[in-house]
Amino acid sequence: MLILKPKFDFEVSVEMEITPSVAKADEQEIKDFEVYYGKKKVKLSELFEIKKEGDEAKLVLEGDFSKVKWVGTRMDEGEIVVKGNIGDHCGAYMTGGKIVVEGNALDWLGAEMKGGEIIVKGNARNYVGCAYYGDMTGMSGGKITVDGNVGNYIGEKMGGGEIEIKGSAGDFIGTEMKDGVIVIHGDCGFVGGDMKGGTIKIKGNFELVPGFKEVEDGFEGDVNAGGKGKVVKIA
Amino acid sequence: MSDIMLHIKNGIVIDPKNGVNAEKMDIFVKNGKIVEESEVSGEVKTIDASNKLVVAGGFDMHAHIAGSKINVGREMRPEEMRTVRLIAGKFRASIGRVLLTSPAIGYEYAKMGYTTAFEAAQPPVGALHTHEELDAIPMIDKAALPVFGNWHFVLKYVAEKDFEKLRAFIAWALERTKGFGVKVVNPGGVEAWMYGGNCKSLDDEVPGFGVTPREIITALIQETENLNLCHSVHLHCNNLGTPGNYETTIESMKLASKFSNEKRQVLHVTHVQFNSYAGSSWRDVASGAAEVAKYVNSVDNITIDMGQPIFGHATAMTGDAPFQFTLHKLTGARWSNKDSEIEGGAGIVPIAYLPKNPVHALQWAIGLELGLLVDSDKVVLSTDYPNGGPFTEYPYVMAMLMSKKMREKELERVSPYVQKATNLPSIDVEKTLYEVIHMTRSLPARVMGMDSKGHLGVGADADIAIYDLNPLEVDPSNDFETVYKAFKTAVYTIKGGEIIAKEGELVKEVWGRTFWVDARNKAAMDAIESDLDDMFEKYYSLQRVNYGVEEAWIKKPERLVMG
Repeated sequence: MLILKPKFDFEVSVEMEITPSVAKADEQEIKDFEVYYGKKKVKLSELFEIKKEGDEAKLVLEGDFSKVKWVGTRMDEGEIVVKGNIGDHCGAYMTGGKIVVEGNALDWLGAEMKGGEIIVKGNARNYVGCAYYGDMTGMSGGKITVDGNVGNYIGEKMGGGEIEIKGSAGDFIGTEMKDGVIVIHGDCGFVGGDMKGGTIKIKGNFELVPGFKEVEDGFEGDVNAGGKGKVVKIA
Repeated sequence: MSDIMLHIKNGIVIDPKNGVNAEKMDIFVKNGKIVEESEVSGEVKTIDASNKLVVAGGFDMHAHIAGSKINVGREMRPEEMRTVRLIAGKFRASIGRVLLTSPAIGYEYAKMGYTTAFEAAQPPVGALHTHEELDAIPMIDKAALPVFGNWHFVLKYVAEKDFEKLRAFIAWALERTKGFGVKVVNPGGVEAWMYGGNCKSLDDEVPGFGVTPREIITALIQETENLNLCHSVHLHCNNLGTPGNYETTIESMKLASKFSNEKRQVLHVTHVQFNSYAGSSWRDVASGAAEVAKYVNSVDNITIDMGQPIFGHATAMTGDAPFQFTLHKLTGARWSNKDSEIEGGAGIVPIAYLPKNPVHALQWAIGLELGLLVDSDKVVLSTDYPNGGPFTEYPYVMAMLMSKKMREKELERVSPYVQKATNLPSIDVEKTLYEVIHMTRSLPARVMGMDSKGHLGVGADADIAIYDLNPLEVDPSNDFETVYKAFKTAVYTIKGGEIIAKEGELVKEVWGRTFWVDARNKAAMDAIESDLDDMFEKYYSLQRVNYGVEEAWIKKPERLVMG
């Protein structure tokens, strides 16, 4: 297990493509792990206090990590616990393992993730489980749970897996969604634009784009895209 | 250009233009040119090229490296811009997966030992922008071919059979766009597409003009020859990307039969892979490469380039707007159209060539068939960057042409469809290193009419590539991996006498020249004055006085006056 604490308040963002596997390396290697601080390449030990306890593939991030990007990107095993806020792109492209954020997450949480689990106890911002600009498929496996609220563009181009939002969401939920499930317990804005497949379940109020037709158990569309997506109201 | 003198010692030289085949030689450089030994004295920098291959710098005569198309491509494909090649420092930041940014284009060519690349389709109204972009590409020499085949002036003069005016118009247009030669894209078809149509055969009439592609191509060849331009007509045939189109291609080639030129071909047909399909639909599509190759080999006034697809990402972009729309319908991928007033159009569609996709595998095989079956003196190596794939994979194509073993290995991973639809598996031809060097250096230079390029004779530009490959020892047929690796990264790339890249690392940023052709003294320029005024007044969105590119606006222009 590896415990990281910021040594100072970061003035610019830190690009840190770190996964729990790093915790298995020896101490010197961990200290020398290279990250970008702004445009400069620096060693991990220059930015963080590092404490290693055993070889378990687990990262504990203590303090404010809201300026730290790409944590857990492409991770395939182990666990990350963030005892605070986390920056953009957390868990992007991940294929396995688990990330727990006790504070809030920023944009691009679990973008294009293929497997594993992300739990956020606070809020998350925009583009949860989305595809990056230009790519054809967003999140395609695994599960993202957000206890609080989220922003816009949740699950855009989603191709599988599940996103569960216990609070409310913004606009454009499941845009161009192809497969998978989005569950929203609170309210949200427009849903399902150009949706082709998959299911969106909503407990609160929402606005449907005009391309949906009413069917027995909810709404189907987006007919403009020849879609067979489902938007369902749940109790 | 450098005033440093160079002595490249003990290299093993292949220089097809001068008939040098793997001879141990010394090369001397002074003032950016190749000179006799007696010319150099005093402070001479020596490069030890022992047991290494020394050739002229590579010459890519057909790539899309500047202009509105590639820029729209960059805009619509943000995903291409995630590959970071070089972060800013001594050199400029360069990014891009296949669609590179301008600095990246120059840098990647240089690393590979290429020193010249021509933009193969410049929308005339976008000429200024094209030149500004060319000026942003470091390291290499450049030029651009403006497109003529759908320009209203051309259609009008051909319809009126007023060839004197057509001749003057070509000379005028080359000067205004600072262009190099006459490019033709789907003649008539792009204009027809503005009305929802296309020109599928050489005898389809262009709506509103009463002319046919046959007449347009013939007239443009005739006047290009009358102007005695460096380069011949550069034709992208009608019906590109359609099953059965090899017949249109051969028919178009036959239009050149009544012309001849002692110095060069009279028609260059480009990225012929996309125009060599047999069959009647995508269900029964097959290779027509053998027939095309047979025709090209039987005549001596035509050259072609391959348009070889590379498996992986690419971006289709051509002045052939109707084809791009068809491709977009076929693949469901994003599409952008680019109109250029009364001159033509273009389209852009992202594409990825997949080995297991029968059509993509077929295209890949056809490109190679053309490269192998056509006489090495008539086929230039190209990927039609970025249509067929990245130019950085030229070494792959070079190695494939030289090794049947490598082809057999590659055939194992592609769709079995190529086995029945092409001849590739049964082709035993293995091009020699000498032939492949010809196809990437001396031949493209000859096709473009550039006497100072593509060879290492005295007087040539000192554009030199040195590769870690001993032609006397290597057996390209078996050592294809060595060959591929060696050509991927030049040990030295020398541009105009300066070392610009060494073992894959950039050494110095230099700015190449932009060539343009001035043929105005061969035509009665006054004849078209009133027509130009009239057409600009009526149809252009800008005034004639604001149209075109002044020589002083270009970084390092080089005017070639046609005698």
